Amino acid sequence: MLAAVALLAAVACGKKKETPANLNAANRVAVRMVRLYYESPQMLLVAEPRNIALPESPAAAIPVVARELIKGPATAASLRLFPADTVVRGAYLLPGGTVVVDLGGPTLQQGWGTGSHQELMAAYSLVQTLSANFADARRVRILVNGSPAETLAGHVSLARSLTPMPVLVEPKSR
Amino acid sequence: MKRLLALGAVLVLAAASIVLAQTSGQATLRTPAGDRPFTYVQQSGQVYVNAEEVVAGLGGTIAPDSSGYKVTVGGATAAFGPDSRYGVVRDDLIEMPVPPIAVEGKPYVPWQFFQGFLARATSQDAAWDPATQSLVIRPLQRDAIAVQVSVANVQGISKIVLTLSAPAEYSIVKEPQAYLVRFRSPVRAPFGDQPYEDPNIARMTFAANDVRIQLTAPDVAGDAYRLENPPRIVLDFRKGAALAPVPGALVPQKPTEAPGIRTIVIDPGHGGREVGAVGPNGLMEKDITLAIARKLAASLAGKVGARVVLTRDDDSVVSLDQRTALANQYKADLFLSVHLNAAVVKDAKGSETYFLSLEASDELARKAAETENAAAASDPSSDLKLILWDLAQQAYLDESSRFAQAIQEEMNAATAVANRGVKQAPFKVLVGATMPAALVEVGFISNAEEEAKLQTDAFQDLMVDALTRAVQRYKTEYETRIGLIQPPAPATTTTAAPADPKLPAKPQSAPQQPVPVPATTRTEP
Repeated sequence: MLAAVALLAAVACGKKKETPANLNAANRVAVRMVRLYYESPQMLLVAEPRNIALPESPAAAIPVVARELIKGPATAASLRLFPADTVVRGAYLLPGGTVVVDLGGPTLQQGWGTGSHQELMAAYSLVQTLSANFADARRVRILVNGSPAETLAGHVSLARSLTPMPVLVEPKSR
Repeated sequence: MKRLLALGAVLVLAAASIVLAQTSGQATLRTPAGDRPFTYVQQSGQVYVNAEEVVAGLGGTIAPDSSGYKVTVGGATAAFGPDSRYGVVRDDLIEMPVPPIAVEGKPYVPWQFFQGFLARATSQDAAWDPATQSLVIRPLQRDAIAVQVSVANVQGISKIVLTLSAPAEYSIVKEPQAYLVRFRSPVRAPFGDQPYEDPNIARMTFAANDVRIQLTAPDVAGDAYRLENPPRIVLDFRKGAALAPVPGALVPQKPTEAPGIRTIVIDPGHGGREVGAVGPNGLMEKDITLAIARKLAASLAGKVGARVVLTRDDDSVVSLDQRTALANQYKADLFLSVHLNAAVVKDAKGSETYFLSLEASDELARKAAETENAAAASDPSSDLKLILWDLAQQAYLDESSRFAQAIQEEMNAATAVANRGVKQAPFKVLVGATMPAALVEVGFISNAEEEAKLQTDAFQDLMVDALTRAVQRYKTEYETRIGLIQPPAPATTTTAAPADPKLPAKPQSAPQQPVPVPATTRTEP
């Protein structure tokens, strides 16, 4: 609201104004447990609970959780799915429940050579992680380097948003 | 409640805005209908426009959503929210340089939001003119796309190929005894009007952005598909079995061919610089899929008596769209994509078979299709056809499931490796196929033990035999179900009963050679 008030004053004056960056919910941080999904030895997605510092605003927290997922699992009980050099360039929650996640990194940019199982599990680890931690996140649209991409590695279509596939998740982690 | 939503949306937008230097004032919304003032704000060089005032000027509506706003103009709805540089229209994204902000409790969006929205929804362009401080709305002017036309008649099928100088959005509308290809952008016509001495095509006429194909008789049926590199629209016409008189769009349908499994397209996964998965000892997926596919094509041609087409017969790149487009072009009755798997679990092994999962990916597509379906009744230029093509495989999911099941069962029977079962996934290469389609993962190249086996002739032959039996089995089951062949007699009568001369003979097809991909459908690396 501070921003709105500041802008209101600026509009009323119709002149150049300098106003400070606002302090808002995105900047308030609390430690929260999130569930990050990686591959289990049974080749299904399994949740790894992790405590991380998160902004209170879901819009600000979503990219934090996505980046935490990409760091990889903390234990040997589960396995990293995305290439180690993958980066989350941005993540945005749109009205209606679509999360746009913009991925990048040398491997994804140059062409990720992997099979359909790993590609499928990687894409859905992101979908499952975001939908499990944010009630408003109902589907995920994946971009690569800021643009719509056909696939990550030649198999899974990214032309549309992906919704969670429980069949890929271990029953105890659903 | 609406007020609460609006307040909530404004609060979120306000919270999301980071305010730097700014100017503001009145600007002009310039449309073909006239000029209208609106408020704008400029900060850090970016012009934000008052979304409510601009939408009103465009004759649309704007309403708060739970976390943003929904905008409707010209029957199309888009949405934008805080903290997001992306708006959404249908399942398409509108990219903005910066997220929207709130000013005076009102939503302000970067002017580029309207540029992206109007271009997708109304074929209009929006441009900010800093000299006059105007947002100018005008018809979208794209460079005219040059169209070349070729017409040929082969075995009673008239084939029109429209070769485009650049990819173009279009829709196809069926009219009485004519089809209309309606482009969304200007086209450069090779001629105005051209008659043809063809059994199915009477004449072709270019007018504005339309190409009208006048047919010789009402019972000439049409079928259309797209090819890439270069972009082409291919239309096939034949007499008889006219499509149902659906007002609006041409729905992709399987052409009326002789029933049964006559043509099979085998798709060796990856190729060229797209090597696919690589084994721990350097074996490349693209090489093994090609080896297996070649052997499978020869086996099927000899044992099944079908025409077999490979989507690639060398180490070249073929786009995913092109693979299914090729199958559609050949009017294939079956499509099988051959792949090798990879997993982070090092000892992963076994085969698995996929068919398309639409429910995992098409929630928005279904909504869009429903919307377009409704719109198509009144708007012949709608995108209904393109959306339906995009979901073409949906009509064949039951058969694809049966086909995948036959493959997996035969693979299981042939090998002692783990059965990973039949699965569904939104695989791109299966989306556009207008026939039963499956993707088989023969084994895990990421497992050193399976990698070693996969490069041996013995293991490849084992897989090829299993896949051949699967195709034979599916073909027999399918042709029995449609009544093309009689079901096998019960075991108690087969040995004693003499051959019944009244029973139709099982189709005897001479072995055929695999058909390589025509050079014109290839994409070179």
